[in-house]
Amino acid sequence: MSIMDHNGGSVIAMVGKDCVAIASDLRLGDRALSISSNFQRIFPITDRIYVGLPGLGTDVATLRERFRFRVNMYTIKEEREIEPETFAHLVSSTLYEHRFGPYFIEPVMAGMSKTPSGGYKPFIAATDLIGCLNFAKDFVVAGTASSKLYGVAEGLWEPDLEPEDLFETISQTLLNAADRDAFSGWGAIVHIITKDKIITRTLKGRMD
Amino acid sequence: MARRYDSRTTIFSPEGRLYQIEYAMEAISHAGTVLGVLAKDGVVLAAEKKVTGKLLDLSSAKDGGYGGSGEKIYLLNSNVIGGVAGLTADANSLVNYARTAAQRHLLQYNEDIPVELLAQRLCDMKQGYTQFGGLRPFGVSLLYAGYDPHYQFQLYHSDPSGNYSGWKATCIGANNGTAQSLLKQEYKDDILVKDAIGLVLRTMSKTMDSTTLNSEKLEFAVLTLDPETKRPNAKIYRPAEIDALLLSEGLTKQDDDTEMKAT
Repeated sequence: MSIMDHNGGSVIAMVGKDCVAIASDLRLGDRALSISSNFQRIFPITDRIYVGLPGLGTDVATLRERFRFRVNMYTIKEEREIEPETFAHLVSSTLYEHRFGPYFIEPVMAGMSKTPSGGYKPFIAATDLIGCLNFAKDFVVAGTASSKLYGVAEGLWEPDLEPEDLFETISQTLLNAADRDAFSGWGAIVHIITKDKIITRTLKGRMD
Repeated sequence: MARRYDSRTTIFSPEGRLYQIEYAMEAISHAGTVLGVLAKDGVVLAAEKKVTGKLLDLSSAKDGGYGGSGEKIYLLNSNVIGGVAGLTADANSLVNYARTAAQRHLLQYNEDIPVELLAQRLCDMKQGYTQFGGLRPFGVSLLYAGYDPHYQFQLYHSDPSGNYSGWKATCIGANNGTAQSLLKQEYKDDILVKDAIGLVLRTMSKTMDSTTLNSEKLEFAVLTLDPETKRPNAKIYRPAEIDALLLSEGLTKQDDDTEMKAT
């Protein structure tokens, strides 16, 4: 069994119409034994960027702090907030620095990026544990339920979903995929990011 | 013969002095003035800009960022503002070092760096250049205006020798002696930020050699506590805000040019 599956947990991000969504289950386990049903692995980076860190629990905490370090240095030097595309490359370079002794995390990012005309457009991305970037136009998945998430998301996702419809789609995708995975589940948290607000909802799931 | 002890930074003269360090401090006493006042509910910093000119591009200072024109006053961390006097290039390097040190502390302890510790980190480095040979010392003095939960608001000063000290009100750069004696007369122990702002600006206007006090010559910052979150709020004023502040404090002197235009 891989170290990637030791604590369990999954994250998914989806693109909608002028919005993005990112969701994760809340389980932290020790192999098959569940330890916590309220483990947060999605963190805000700016007002418009969230990152989910599925993988080894100890590296969730460490990477979160390292990203905070590098984002703070970026913000204070550039005197502006980091853009999602830039943050994705920051994540990638942080992970690749540890190419031969990696953090056991496969980050998923979701955010709204500024366009030259002053508007906002949805952005999602994911990387593997050594920082290989995957910019997707529809959805990205990672974690112990990733193979199941792919299947359900392929079936449920459609283009240009409004925020509330996107919430329903991502919630159903995550809950149903997690039910088919012994290492994910025990409730979920969903963030919907639009250009001017963030909707956060905690979902109940099967407790078995 | 005294010159023999000038060339190496780390050699004592027969009188027991380190000339290069003293020269560095002398250079700073010609730099733009930086002035800080510690109040009961915050810290106030003001700085005189020496480099001005019609062709200098200040557009980046007007919009975006933390405000200020980024020449003398810098945000070092969310709880510390720094004011620098001396060689600008050396200062930039020190500001970068301070910001990294503060973030490293946040990474290790998950809390903002205490103000004195940040001053110590920089002084450890500055002191190194007075002892280990070959390189010149940093030609920079700094004022640190900061807040931490244990010692509340603080104001520190550090110089090229690596000495640092805490102050209620102090001044570095040109005319620092005049400013310090003015502050000594006027400072009261329980001064509030709103009065400290007036004290800082009045002292600045008396020590600066230019007759006009405006955003082209002045940088200004205030560190207070947010009444709701109880977290430090570092505000570096934008040029327009400085002019508005000077106007409300009644310190905008008549400009020669405007008089000419009026007649």
